[in-house]
Formats: sequence, C-alpha cells, structure tokens
Amino acid sequence: MTTISTRPHRETGEPHWIEWATGTVSALLVVAMIGWIGLEALMEEDLPPDFSVAITGRATVEGGHRVEFEILNKANQTAAAVVVRGEVFDGGTAVEEADITFDYVPAESKASGAIMFLQDPGEREIRIRALGYTDP
Amino acid sequence: MLSSVTNVQRGADTGPSRHLLVGLGRGAAGAMLFGMPMLMTMELWYLGFYIDRVRLFLLLTVNIPLLIVLAHRIGFEHTSTWQEAVRDATIAYGLGIVMSALVLTLLGDLEPDMPFSEILGKIAIQAVPASIGALLGRSQLGGQAGDDEGRDEDDGQDEGKDGDAVPDQMSTSYGRELFLMAVGALFLSLNVAPTEEIILISFKMTPWHALMMVALSIAIMHAFVYAVAFKGAHELGEDTPRWHAFIRFTLPGYMVAMLISLYVLWTFGRLDDTAPTQILMSVIVLAFPGAIGAAAARLIL
Repeated sequence: MTTISTRPHRETGEPHWIEWATGTVSALLVVAMIGWIGLEALMEEDLPPDFSVAITGRATVEGGHRVEFEILNKANQTAAAVVVRGEVFDGGTAVEEADITFDYVPAESKASGAIMFLQDPGEREIRIRALGYTDP
Repeated sequence: MLSSVTNVQRGADTGPSRHLLVGLGRGAAGAMLFGMPMLMTMELWYLGFYIDRVRLFLLLTVNIPLLIVLAHRIGFEHTSTWQEAVRDATIAYGLGIVMSALVLTLLGDLEPDMPFSEILGKIAIQAVPASIGALLGRSQLGGQAGDDEGRDEDDGQDEGKDGDAVPDQMSTSYGRELFLMAVGALFLSLNVAPTEEIILISFKMTPWHALMMVALSIAIMHAFVYAVAFKGAHELGEDTPRWHAFIRFTLPGYMVAMLISLYVLWTFGRLDDTAPTQILMSVIVLAFPGAIGAAAARLIL
C-alpha cells in the first residue's frame, strides 16, 4: 500500500481501491489456503482407511428388499474399489449375502449405496461391512 | 488499431443476410471446435441424466448473463447496445443447443426410445460449453479479435488521463479482466471437471503435492500474462513494480479460478458428503487447468 505514494501521477480513484482490496483479500485467502494445506502436510499422520457403516433406510421393492446405508471413511486416506458385503443373519448363520463395490470412499467422507436382498430380513440381524479396498 | 481494416472487410460483405449466415457458420464452427472434447466425454453423457436438476437449472441460468456480457465484450459484430448483446447471446445459446443435439445424435448417444428427460439433460449440459464456444468462434474465427483490442485501447485512453496510461487502462477494465478470467477458467474447468481423473488425482496427491500445485498454478498464471511474451501479453509500465500486478491481477485471478472450480465441481456433484480438506484438494487440482484457462482468456479475448 505504501508504494502508492511513490507514484505521484497515479489516480487514486475508486477502481484502484477496489483492485488493491480484491488483491489483498485474494492474497489473504491464498495464504490461508497454503497455511491450511501446509498444516495438514506437517501435522497429520497418514492413517489407513477405517470404515463405519450405518443403515439409513429399508424398503420392500419389486423382487426383493432394499437396505440403504452410508459408509464413512474416518481416516485421512482415500480408499478405492471398496467392496462392501451385506449379510442377513438368522440364528448365527448367514442366510443371504450380497456384495457391492464403491469406486471411492474419500478421506473423512461418506459414500452411500444400497443392497438388495431377495428375502425380507424382517427382525433378523443385518450386518454390513467392508471386505477390503485398494489404494487409489 | 485495426478498425480501419475491419471497416474495409465489412464493406466487402454483400448483404446483411449473407453476413448473418457467415456469422451462424462461424458460431456453429466455434461450438464444434470448443465443444467437441466435452461432446466426446463419457462422464458428461452420464451427468446428463444423473446431475441434480436444480444444479443443472442453475448452470443453464447462470450461462445466460455470462453469454450476454461475453457477447457485449467480444461480439461478432460490433455489439454496441445491450439489445444486440442479448440477440447475439441468444443465437449463441441456440447454436450451442442445436450443435450439441446434432453431434450427440451423430455419436449415437441420443436414441429415440430414451426418456425425454435424459435426452434433454444430455443436450442441456453440453449446450453450456458449446454456446460459449459459439460466441468465441464468432469472434476468434472471424479474424476480428484485433479490432476488439483496438477498441479496448481506445476505451482506456478515453477514460484515463494521459501520462499514466497503463495503470489507468488497467483500472478501467479491472472488472472486465476478472470476468474474462472467470470465463476462461469456467471453460477449461467444464472440459476436465466431469472426468473421474480430477477426483482421482486429488485422492492420490499428498498435501505437499497440493502446495506445489498451488505455487505452480499461480506462477504459470503470472508468467502466461506478463513474463512469456505471447501475442496479446500485457506489459507493465516501466515504473510499476512486478508485484503490483501480481497482487492486483494474478492472485485475484487465481481466486476466481478456484471459485469457478468449486462451483463446477459442486454442479457435477463431486463434492457431496466430502470432507473440507478433500474438497480443497479437488478444487486445487481443477484450478490448475482453470488458472491456465483464466490466463489464456486474458491474452486471447
């Protein structure tokens, strides 16, 4: 800002003020962004993907029973090709299972999907878990 | 600077109807030229039917004022009034829709037995980049870009006082510069944002990669416009320190590119349920081509 005074012929109209204001705000944003990323780079340890699954909805549909769920990756590394298996348990034995694959479950983010069971699980236990993943 | 040449060219045209046809041809060529990479991108076909309709509507609506302002700036004919700008923008949007529909049909991507909303979505999403391409085609393929430059210089001299011409000219066209950067960034972002590679790259990158990418994006933006002497490059006044332009143009330009990246990624549903750090990484990745597009737009348009 002080350099403005070194240019005596310069017009100090409103556009200049806006230009410098925009420039300053942008500079602050860039610095803040670099600071954020830099902090991540310095502070965070790489944690391998760690999933938790929550069932969000169930409905009977044509030809089966739909169980919707969300899978959350709590770690700060992204998992690719995440295979998720849903199983219906009846007295300790799995009576039906179905697999689906998520292209990505990004770090600290959620992905959602649904599994179609042939039979209505009813009161029986439904287990949904990740079988494995690849690093992107 | 080339206005006299242009007047001669215009005088050589035989009539208004031929003039219009040539304009339409150039617009269609521009829509093809600039829209083809997206018309041949698989992800964009799929987006046509699964994109959130509210976001698609917003994109289609935002495109209208964008085209009008762009037409006002770089119109094929000397667009002196806003009515003419609206007319040019409407023609460009229409050409974008028609060319998208034609090419998608040619590619076998549109079938008569598809649901109407799928056909509509596919054409609509392609019409946005194609319509920008149609406008750009009309100005860039028309060989009248130099005329526009000449006009801008006149504007700068009219409004600024002599003696300090360079910064005055810059200041009068500041909003225009940012707008052009936004258009350039939007255009290149639309090209690459639908592909899966953008998010894949952001997943593969470490924060160190991201920091390097930010630094490189800003450096390229600055170098494109000021250091590398491309045709149309902006020259600084001799007594203007380099960091003035860096603060006033390059950094805001980069922010514009990042905002456009954020908007485009959100429109394509790439950020849903994603952590803030992950969003930032994706935006940085997309802002890399966006920054190059923004810098190029300042030179070309």
